[in-house]
Amino acid sequence: MGLQGDFYQLLKEQGYAFGLAGQAKVEQDLIAATTILAFKYRDGVLVAGDRRATAGNVVMYDRTDKVLEIDRHSVMAIAGVPATAYEMARVLEHSFKYYRRTQLQELSFEGKLRALSKLLKENVPAALAGTGAVAPIFAGYDSEQEAAKIYFYDILGAEFEGVEYAVSGSGSPTIRGILHYLNTWGEQPLSALSEEQATIQALRLLTSAAEFDSATGGVNRDAGLYPVIKFVAAGGVRATPDPQLRALFESKVSRTT
Amino acid sequence: MYEEPYRWVEAVGNRRHYLDEQFKQGSPVVGVAYEAGILLMTMSKGTPKLYEIYDRLALGGMGHPADLEKVRFTLLETAHIEGFNRSPFDVTGSRMVKYGLAPVIKQAFEEVFKAPFIVKIILAELGQKIGKDSFLTVNYDGTFEEKNCYAMLGATPGVEQEMAAYLRSQTIVSLDQAVNAAVCAWAVGDRAQRQAFAEPGEPSEAPTNLDRQVSDSDVLYDHVRQCMNDKSIECALLDRQVPSTSKYRTIGPDELATLLPGDLGRSAA
Repeated sequence: MGLQGDFYQLLKEQGYAFGLAGQAKVEQDLIAATTILAFKYRDGVLVAGDRRATAGNVVMYDRTDKVLEIDRHSVMAIAGVPATAYEMARVLEHSFKYYRRTQLQELSFEGKLRALSKLLKENVPAALAGTGAVAPIFAGYDSEQEAAKIYFYDILGAEFEGVEYAVSGSGSPTIRGILHYLNTWGEQPLSALSEEQATIQALRLLTSAAEFDSATGGVNRDAGLYPVIKFVAAGGVRATPDPQLRALFESKVSRTT
Repeated sequence: MYEEPYRWVEAVGNRRHYLDEQFKQGSPVVGVAYEAGILLMTMSKGTPKLYEIYDRLALGGMGHPADLEKVRFTLLETAHIEGFNRSPFDVTGSRMVKYGLAPVIKQAFEEVFKAPFIVKIILAELGQKIGKDSFLTVNYDGTFEEKNCYAMLGATPGVEQEMAAYLRSQTIVSLDQAVNAAVCAWAVGDRAQRQAFAEPGEPSEAPTNLDRQVSDSDVLYDHVRQCMNDKSIECALLDRQVPSTSKYRTIGPDELATLLPGDLGRSAA
């Protein structure tokens, strides 16, 4: 009777299956590619993602939210096949809620990391078949250690801690180098940035990624489209509203006004 | 022998009598809707009686703790599977009770060779809009009732009627009014239960002044004050102002202290 508070097990008992292998050879381009990033700033972790979804050289959608709030204290940023990634996010969201409500306590941060790792492992057949590869970043506030943390995963489910920052997606090689440079030789390390300074850097990083990666959407001022930027801190998850992003972009990022 | 209809009816009657006896010592539960949400309140001895079920659903119960746990898990599993497979908007108290829980409780009650659920519950549901909040109460035999402004659980229908009469006379808009009305309604119910089940001639362990006017708030607060020797006030909210999708939160002792009158608040903290 639900002693373990394991929602995913409950789903499987109901006949739910995750990560079924698709066709080994995919005839049609799958929607994929992206840039997501996370780094520690003064008060916690900033997590950001562009909003473009592509299939091959076709832009499928320019308003995708890739930084998904899983519960009050954790977010998952997704890179890879959206169908699988969104399903993972839904399973996680329900799993964390179910655990909290059945066991009358929050699932530990470690437990949340393992839950995502388990889903990725179950998804390996689909990932290897080319129909469901997902390489997410998970960031959350660890109330035991009173610190916000970043973890990133490969498509097989291995988890790695991003001690200072983590990136994923097709645009990530571009900004990984920039993050290393900023953190090592910048005026101050990323972890010393204020919320506003961190937001400016995130906007500049995603703009740089969009410059070199056609599958990453930059800022589209005409359409009022800005990246999704969320903060994870002791008080929970908070999104930065578009008007604030617009003001910072125009004053600190754009070279034309 | 229960194949004979008369025997079966007699067995069910005995079972009803047995179950009524089990709730004599139970702690009433009160649910009231107020402007910003729904409050559930009871007094408990350590084991909680109020629980979060889903984003907009909360449970309050009286009866055997193990049976309340069974009911809670049934609701939790049904709600989360439904919310995942369809949408959180499809997880309604009405569907959970009418097509999920109530038939199970009724079946357990009527299967005279098996143990019944020794439990009565309130399922509170926060509406999407103000004025759309609702309550469902389920009795140990599976009968359920839908209510709007308030709901209560007591040992007998008579006790519940007294609690309802008290709540009907109250104006409840703010959280402060909701908490105070609920605490007093609980006291009305608890006093009524003690009166109903007091053995004639037996010295009562109950707090004094049971014969005084039940709507006198000083008397009711005094009753609660005396009950706090071995129980504590438990309050949970479905709060429309909570920014996340899950609207459930508990009222901690410090917050409770600011909502209750002077010394009662300090005792709760």
